[in-house]
Amino acid sequence: MSDDARLLAELHAARALMRTQHAALRPGQPARPSHAALWAHANREPGGPVDLAVVRAIHSDPEAARRYRTLLGAQALAHAPLAAAASDGALMRRRVGPFELEILEGAPPLLILRGPVERMPRLIEAWLGDETVRLDLGTPVDGAILLALDPAVAEADRIGHMLRDPACAVFLL
Amino acid sequence: MAGLGITIRRIEESQGVARSPGTGRRMTGGYDERCAADLAAVCDGRDLSREDRAWLTRVVTGAVRPNRDKPLWDLAHALATLARATDARNGRDLVTLALDPGLATARAVEARFSGGAAADARGPVLGEAWRTSWAGLARLLALAEFVLTAEDLAQFAAVTGWLDDLAAAPDAEGAAFLAKRLARHLSAYRNVHLPLAPLERRFRAILGFLAGRKAFTDDDILAFWRTEMEVGERPGFRTVAEHFVTFEAGAHLVGGLEGLSAPVSLDAHAGWEERLDAALGDLATSEPAETLAALLADWPDGPKILTGAEREDLTDFLRLEPFHRTRPLTTLRAASFGRVQSGLANRLRRGGGGGEVAERATCAEAESYAALQERAGALAAHLARMLRIAAALRIAERDGLTPEARAALEAAEADLRRVRRSGFEDRPTVAAGFAAVEAALLRLAEEADRLKRALATLARQRPLDATFSADRSVFAAAFTAAYAGEAAA
Repeated sequence: MSDDARLLAELHAARALMRTQHAALRPGQPARPSHAALWAHANREPGGPVDLAVVRAIHSDPEAARRYRTLLGAQALAHAPLAAAASDGALMRRRVGPFELEILEGAPPLLILRGPVERMPRLIEAWLGDETVRLDLGTPVDGAILLALDPAVAEADRIGHMLRDPACAVFLL
Repeated sequence: MAGLGITIRRIEESQGVARSPGTGRRMTGGYDERCAADLAAVCDGRDLSREDRAWLTRVVTGAVRPNRDKPLWDLAHALATLARATDARNGRDLVTLALDPGLATARAVEARFSGGAAADARGPVLGEAWRTSWAGLARLLALAEFVLTAEDLAQFAAVTGWLDDLAAAPDAEGAAFLAKRLARHLSAYRNVHLPLAPLERRFRAILGFLAGRKAFTDDDILAFWRTEMEVGERPGFRTVAEHFVTFEAGAHLVGGLEGLSAPVSLDAHAGWEERLDAALGDLATSEPAETLAALLADWPDGPKILTGAEREDLTDFLRLEPFHRTRPLTTLRAASFGRVQSGLANRLRRGGGGGEVAERATCAEAESYAALQERAGALAAHLARMLRIAAALRIAERDGLTPEARAALEAAEADLRRVRRSGFEDRPTVAAGFAAVEAALLRLAEEADRLKRALATLARQRPLDATFSADRSVFAAAFTAAYAGEAAA
């Protein structure tokens, strides 16, 4: 059977899409960060330079935040939107995919991460409300990563508090 | 009332209006809003040329022959080649390349990848099995961004996972496997976001109606529309005319596949690429780079160079571009009776009374061709006047001009002072307003003038009053048979 009608239909849709591509741009609306900008942000090094426009968009536009988390989730070794088991008190231990995160109280508190040794994460990013912290996890020793949550280091202290909250989302990258 | 709902649904379906399964929203023209937004995100993000936009749009809708999956085969091989060239460790490295707007042109990808082991002077190569040009690679990366980000990233993680698999084995076998996955992915996307079946049915009907002819007349369009109305399809006359616009643009493709031998050579592919590009060529290369409908839809606020009513009239006259130049009679029919028909369809949609529908169906309210011609002439004259004012506002330095040119500009200056429209009081505002639309104004003025001339030629060949009366009987009979009875029931 002839394929002509199908081809014409495909061309008709292509022509209609070419004619209306302008309509997808809504003037007056702030430009959404591009895929590339969100991806670069998802791949940033902790403490490295960031694109402030992207950071602002992620915090002010739920849609941008959703897209960012999708990009982050796709490249994470594991991620957990919320703690697997909700608890009333502070959470001291949680599973993120094949990994286990545990906080040992002390001075300073210690974050311990255990999991399959052949693929240990390099970075951790925590989300709580509209707050985000990203930290370098350092190299594993004897199959576990140990991170001192030193109160003198603002970000380490902060991530310690965030991880204790069951509502905190965790990405291991 | 239930019968009415079915009638409306039938009218809409026959006009190519499908409903998005997710949202229940109406989709017209064979695509939904998601698809338009997905494409726009890639095209705007990479600032693609019109030609590259046309290519990507074509690949997404499937208008590629002999094999619509060929671009995905190419994409999979391009990614395998890049995985080798860049020692990609995983899918993430390939995603970074695919999303990079700095790799959107042939020059940019050549600067980045030439000289490596996976390329020769003309472009990337994957062993003996596959090659493309630098321009081809730039386009394929745009397609890569599309398949990754389509459906607002819904499949991003899945596609990234496939790229992980490719990075682990970036060879011909890995590429072939990825090509299969991508073809399934895009085909599923088309099923959801590109409801082509109603369009295909209509084109099949047009092909059957023309019975092998590729040339058609204004009266063919009308006769085809009447047939469709009679068999109960009830498409809009404008919708049918739009299909003929596409048919004309693509007529050189019709029947082309039959002559193709089974083992398709690369030469055959190249030939098809050119022919398919040609079917979008008028949209891909028009300057300034926007269609007339888009120019009018995006007309900025500011001095009232065009009122809302003038814009609506122009949109109505120019919506079937290029028929306003080449088929003025179809343009008149769509403007006069197309308007009556959409009024009828709206009335039925909102549940109007049977009496009112019957009254509208008589086309007593249809605007005569003579009146439309006069309005088109007035619009052309108005646009020409505005263009002269634009020139006067722009050309401040007039010493080197001929006396005639200077006099014309001065006359336009005097004319500007006579315009009584909002926003024309303050000269800097007017100048800024005209500067913003200069290119669009020039194009619209040209096209309005071409419409005027086409209508004048038509009026010499076919007296407009007699043609209008004859057409009114035809449309009134078709509308009455299609709508009035069922609305009264």
